[in-house]
Amino acid sequence: MNPLIIAAGWLALGLITSALLRRRTSRLVAIVPLAGATLTFFSARSAVAVVPLGGLSAITGLDRAGQGLLIAAALSMVLVILLQPSIDPSIGRSIGVVGAAATIAMASTSPLLTGLVLIAAVATLALRWIAQSPGRVTLAAGRVAGTGTAAILAASPLLPLSGFTTGDRPVVVGALLATGVAALLAVYPLGGWAAGIIRTLRPVEIAPWLILLVPVVLIIAERIPGGVLGAGSPVFEHVLLVIGLGSAVWGGIWAVRGPESTRYGRVFMADIALCVAAVEGARVSPAVTGALVILLTHLTLAPILLRAGDASLLWPRRVAWALLSGVPPSPSFWGRLLLLEALAAGNIGSTIAAVVAMGAIFIAAVMACATRGRPTNAPAWRERLADVAAWLLVAVGIAVGLAPQSLTGFVFGH
Amino acid sequence: MGASAALLSATGVLATLVAIMVDGRRAVAIAVVFLAAGLAPTAATFGGAPGVAVLGGCAIAAVLLAWFGWLGGRVLPWLSGLDPMIPAFAPADRLFGPRSTRAFGAAAAIPIASWVSFNVPVGQIAAVQGFLFPIAYAWVCGVVRLLVARTVEDLAVGVAMIAIATATAWLLRSGTDSFGGAVFACIAAPLAALLAGWLNGRSSRRPLPLLEAEA
Repeated sequence: MNPLIIAAGWLALGLITSALLRRRTSRLVAIVPLAGATLTFFSARSAVAVVPLGGLSAITGLDRAGQGLLIAAALSMVLVILLQPSIDPSIGRSIGVVGAAATIAMASTSPLLTGLVLIAAVATLALRWIAQSPGRVTLAAGRVAGTGTAAILAASPLLPLSGFTTGDRPVVVGALLATGVAALLAVYPLGGWAAGIIRTLRPVEIAPWLILLVPVVLIIAERIPGGVLGAGSPVFEHVLLVIGLGSAVWGGIWAVRGPESTRYGRVFMADIALCVAAVEGARVSPAVTGALVILLTHLTLAPILLRAGDASLLWPRRVAWALLSGVPPSPSFWGRLLLLEALAAGNIGSTIAAVVAMGAIFIAAVMACATRGRPTNAPAWRERLADVAAWLLVAVGIAVGLAPQSLTGFVFGH
Repeated sequence: MGASAALLSATGVLATLVAIMVDGRRAVAIAVVFLAAGLAPTAATFGGAPGVAVLGGCAIAAVLLAWFGWLGGRVLPWLSGLDPMIPAFAPADRLFGPRSTRAFGAAAAIPIASWVSFNVPVGQIAAVQGFLFPIAYAWVCGVVRLLVARTVEDLAVGVAMIAIATATAWLLRSGTDSFGGAVFACIAAPLAALLAGWLNGRSSRRPLPLLEAEA
């Protein structure tokens, strides 16, 4: 199946569910990502890795890693919706648009098309966030993430760089792409908007960005220097290495210092910043595998940790935090170990910064394990179902920790 | 006779200045029309008649879609919501307002665009250098408009400016895919106008509780 048809499926179902569903049936919004995952399973396969550094070209298919990532992200989104105490059905529109954009971005070799679909995703999310909570913080999502997508668009007429691999053109392209990636992944100094929305909005509102968009942008960013970027490669890699490490340390510190409600978002941002720094700064195999293990861990545990801190999922949440702490044999331990191994091959400064960030994330996870939940008024059967689903997710998390490379190979194909 | 780079730059800069300063409910459509007109000489030089047609079509589509969006927002009884003209936050009292900030940004964009124009060659077949100034200026001003945005309307104007600048850059690059790329890049501008018009239409039919109570 062509990725354009999959994207159309996401979009159509998102618009239909947001228009038709009412509060009583709002959980049926989960149909949108479930259908997206099913359609993606039958998608046409591209034999080569898709990198958006070419000219304008047709979309032929998703590569194996892209297909696995989109299915895992969509299933994670389904569970986020099912585990939430309450859902606003209009979120189906945002999920549909972001899912469609993620599918096309993952399948496109054209930076223009990638930039346009990312603009659509960011605009949809920013409008929803501004409508939910008008303020400087939500407007900043439109400002900064919009600027990031604008940078990717600006790079599009200058690509591909065949014949222009030296001089100022590849450097400008590298800088524009680094700006785009940093803004969309919310890496500091372009990450304040994400910290703000994590503090301001309900966790389910940020889930489409966190689960559907961030993994896709991370995978694209990992592939960019492998394309023909010429003299722009060092700029792209070094900028993302430095700001990624700085962002990871800053995110880790704020995960410890900040309020309990923002802790998971901060840890997620710190982990993604570490992944960006490692895959760009140390382009060796352990970094990519480590980033994939970290992604898989977050996609597995996010449905539990994105739920508000009520008492019903207290123990699954504690085990999920333990799996995220970095203590062996948790999956995050293997992921961070591989990232550290890759960074240690670079220089001592990167290693120290990464160790500080990982230490802060560990402390934040231990603090999160110790927090108590608030009592809820939800029906007992629903809480029981949520409990079962959460424990199943925890079991998957443990399995990822016991066989990290096999499971990332199963999901991403390498 | 070759095109005068100075003349091309002058029309582009004047149009960009209008686009970055314009405010109000029709700001997106006005910005798109002025920018398309200002960058049309550049598009004509490198893309010929099809290039002008792309920008002209984009401007017409933006005006029509803004109007259709406004009409749709007024007529269709869906959710009432966001007013794109109301600032998302109240800034502290200060000497310079949002327009002054934009004017400062437009001034700061000149050296950036100038550097890009003279140092970054565009084009897949034959590299063009020195003609990128109006496009780079419009793009940087679009980013300035995005970064200092206070309303959803500001965001929409910024996106439209960036889309038109990118479309013109695609025309400059020449090659087999330049026309298609320009058309694709332009799409965001009419869509931004449609969205702004839709939000304006919805907010303009919202009943005013105070007036209703008095009636």
